[in-house]
Amino acid sequence: MRVIRTLIIACVVVLSCGPAYSAEHTLVMHHMELEEVTAPVRAGDVIIFDNRSDMTHNLYVIYSDGTVDNLDTQVPGMQRKLTLRVAGPAVIKCWIHPIIRLEMEIGSQDTPPAP
Amino acid sequence: MTFRRALLCSIVVSSVAVFLAAIARGNGPLPGVEISAGPAQMSAAAIDELKAKFRRPAAIPFPKSNPFDEKKKDLGRTLFFDPRLSVTGTVSCASCHNPNLAWSDGLERGVGVTGIPLPRRTPGIVDAAWLTALMWDGRADTLEQQAALPITAEHEMGMPLDVLTKRLNEIDGYKTLFEAVFPGKEINATTAIAALATYERSLVSNKSSFDRWIDGDELAIAPAARRGFVVFNTTGRCNKCHSGWRFTDDSFHDIGLRSEDIGRGKFAPPSVTIMKHAFKTPSLRNARISGPYMHDGSIKTMEEVLDHYEKGGKLRPSLSPEMKPVKLSRQEKDDLVAFLETLIGPPLAEKSPELP
Repeated sequence: MRVIRTLIIACVVVLSCGPAYSAEHTLVMHHMELEEVTAPVRAGDVIIFDNRSDMTHNLYVIYSDGTVDNLDTQVPGMQRKLTLRVAGPAVIKCWIHPIIRLEMEIGSQDTPPAP
Repeated sequence: MTFRRALLCSIVVSSVAVFLAAIARGNGPLPGVEISAGPAQMSAAAIDELKAKFRRPAAIPFPKSNPFDEKKKDLGRTLFFDPRLSVTGTVSCASCHNPNLAWSDGLERGVGVTGIPLPRRTPGIVDAAWLTALMWDGRADTLEQQAALPITAEHEMGMPLDVLTKRLNEIDGYKTLFEAVFPGKEINATTAIAALATYERSLVSNKSSFDRWIDGDELAIAPAARRGFVVFNTTGRCNKCHSGWRFTDDSFHDIGLRSEDIGRGKFAPPSVTIMKHAFKTPSLRNARISGPYMHDGSIKTMEEVLDHYEKGGKLRPSLSPEMKPVKLSRQEKDDLVAFLETLIGPPLAEKSPELP
């Protein structure tokens, strides 16, 4: 009985330590434009970058703390996933096409999802 | 058969013969019909849709932080042609961006105050107002940022900005010119560069026969050039990077040249493979008269440029996915060259000003 109780407590602890909320969003690339993600995004959320343009892109995310996540090369039709790491204002850019730029506000991991 | 009927028949027959002969000579089909360029074909509707992407903008975009002013432009012109902006007093911006050489210098690689060849070819500066990344490797975001780079670069103009400020203040004539543009402000590198950037933004290519064709004058370019336009946008794959009215995507690609220069790769993390050996796509306007070609001036003629793209460039991990070998017939190459010649507009009427 004690073992079962310990296991239940452990499970509750493990579950409560994980990301409070995490969602998956799709960000579509059209030619030289990025379609904005309409739902609020939070640290811990996953963004699927979907290249529906007719050209190769190489996106990267600059977080508010100055760190960068690079998505590597994406030929047309390719998808890549990225888990957002840092809350705060972020900028998505493309190494190949500097004209591409999307600003995004990444909410805190503890922020509840919008209704 | 009456004489009148015989005359009518002979007129019809000779008209048809003249038309067929014109086609045989290469005068091609009448405007507005489908254009076939070897394997590349495009309907008239598709061509009209495509042409819309090459329409010139209505106005020059001047930034709010450095708005246009006629006197500022004139001051910028004077500074642009003044060799005293270099440490030796011998090299002006116009020494390398020579109006008589399509605003470049005709050299494989530029040469500045030290006489040592620079690592890269001098790019043209016409239509620079629309650039979103400047320099071959894109290390400047604006003309204001860019203008200071060649002035201060050791082997270009070699002029420290504090020395530039001192020198301009010592020239009496500049006091009047700067005061007219920047009343109450001191003469310094910031005001000088603002004027230079304004002048550079004012350098807009004149309309070429291609532009007149885009505007609706179907006979402005020859059938060979119209076929070349189709090849450019289809089998030739040129439009993959040379897109829009300036014929550049303002982007960075490794096109597989032999050069060891890693270009934009210097400004990207090592993990960004695609930026190694990547350089900015240059405009093709006036390209036929502005060789040698490529960032390192390694290709002498436009025909050799086409050969390079036909082969697809040196295979390596950074090679742009847009670079794919293409097979072009002799006719298609000739048509492409004929098309590129339609991008040559009349030179800008810029003269070296009287220096203060």
